[in-house]
Amino acid sequence: MGLLTNLKDSISRAASTLFSEEDPKRIGIYGPPNAGKTTLANRIARDWTGDAVGPESHVPHETRRARRKENVEIERDGKKVTIDIVDTPGVTTKVDYTEFLEHDMEKDDAVRRSREATEGVAEAMHWLREDVDGVIYVLDSATDPFTQVNTMLIGIIESQDLPVLILANKIDLEESSVQRIRNAYPQHETIPLSALEGDNMDEVYDKIAEYFG
Amino acid sequence: MPHQCTDCGRGFDDGSKEMLSGCPNCGGNKFQYQPEGADISETPDAEPPEPPGPDSSVARTVGKTAASVRDFVSGSGTDGNRPGGRSHPDTDRSADSQPSDPSHTPDSPSTEPERTSTTEDSAQASARGDIVEPDELPSDVPSASESEHQFRPVGADPDPPEDPDREDRPDLEELRAELNDQFESIKVLEPGQYELNLMELYDREEYIIALQEDGHYSIQVPETIRSE
Repeated sequence: MGLLTNLKDSISRAASTLFSEEDPKRIGIYGPPNAGKTTLANRIARDWTGDAVGPESHVPHETRRARRKENVEIERDGKKVTIDIVDTPGVTTKVDYTEFLEHDMEKDDAVRRSREATEGVAEAMHWLREDVDGVIYVLDSATDPFTQVNTMLIGIIESQDLPVLILANKIDLEESSVQRIRNAYPQHETIPLSALEGDNMDEVYDKIAEYFG
Repeated sequence: MPHQCTDCGRGFDDGSKEMLSGCPNCGGNKFQYQPEGADISETPDAEPPEPPGPDSSVARTVGKTAASVRDFVSGSGTDGNRPGGRSHPDTDRSADSQPSDPSHTPDSPSTEPERTSTTEDSAQASARGDIVEPDELPSDVPSASESEHQFRPVGADPDPPEDPDREDRPDLEELRAELNDQFESIKVLEPGQYELNLMELYDREEYIIALQEDGHYSIQVPETIRSE
């Protein structure tokens, strides 16, 4: 099923690129699990196309296949920027089904979710290598940003010379600290936001247009 | 105090053993190394204003780590003790010339009173220079022959090989297991439990599109191979 969707997506992408003068940039939304990547992707897609990208959940690894929303036109200062948004599964070094059992899940479902999540991470890493023109890196500003996964991924993105925008999500939470993220990755600009509440989205769109336009 | 807990900001002397089992204050296990002469508590005006919170010292130290790493990588921080990063070259230089002074850090009094092990430097010097006396060793150390047995090289066969044909086989199997540990991109601990080697997943040309319970992967063959 996922394969078929992927195939359909790539065919429609190939078809659409035949007719467009300038290819929209493919922007991958990356980050650890539960940082709010899908919430952000849905927020952007709803604001500019009216559709959503995928279901959001508090249970980690809800997104287990990369999902695309194509031709999202963002208007800034009279200019239009067209991007394809790719919402990716949360990248992690360990996936354990027992983590899902705590969320009232049967063992079989938890094992399947875990397997799919692992496949999703493999896919997301592969896409990072070949398939994205820019990265929106989403971090939960209420948690420690200084992790092996974040350092490694941001290092890979830098080594690819991809434009990257770091978003400090969940500023609506009391424990949120944007400065902690700014200090962890001072070489990049960090934009605070709450994708859930829609806080500071104007600045996010300004920066998307500036970085990926 | 060259080491500092990144969670609570507690300082530790060079060579302090307290850090080995986590910070005694908060249990944190991340420490930042502060070279000699570096000012552990940065002056508050060196950072953009941020509401003071329990994590602000963590934020500062993380930022300083990142800045020092960046300076080191770019080759500009050859002196190794430039806490402020690129944005404040002047204050950095003045920090270099000043020894670490408690009166210089009025905003974080908590780091100084907690200094517990003032004799660490001499202990460290002794650990580096002196040879341990036999009676200082723990009494339950295994005998010489036992420890020899424990630390034999990986390739050595514990039992004398009775069958000469089998002589090399254990080595190969061990080696294979070790290589799998190091290079496998997805390690299946058991169905539903996986360890991922992100660099390996990123580096490989083909990508894994389906995992099976028996440990097999389905992979997508790169177009370059398919066309041949």
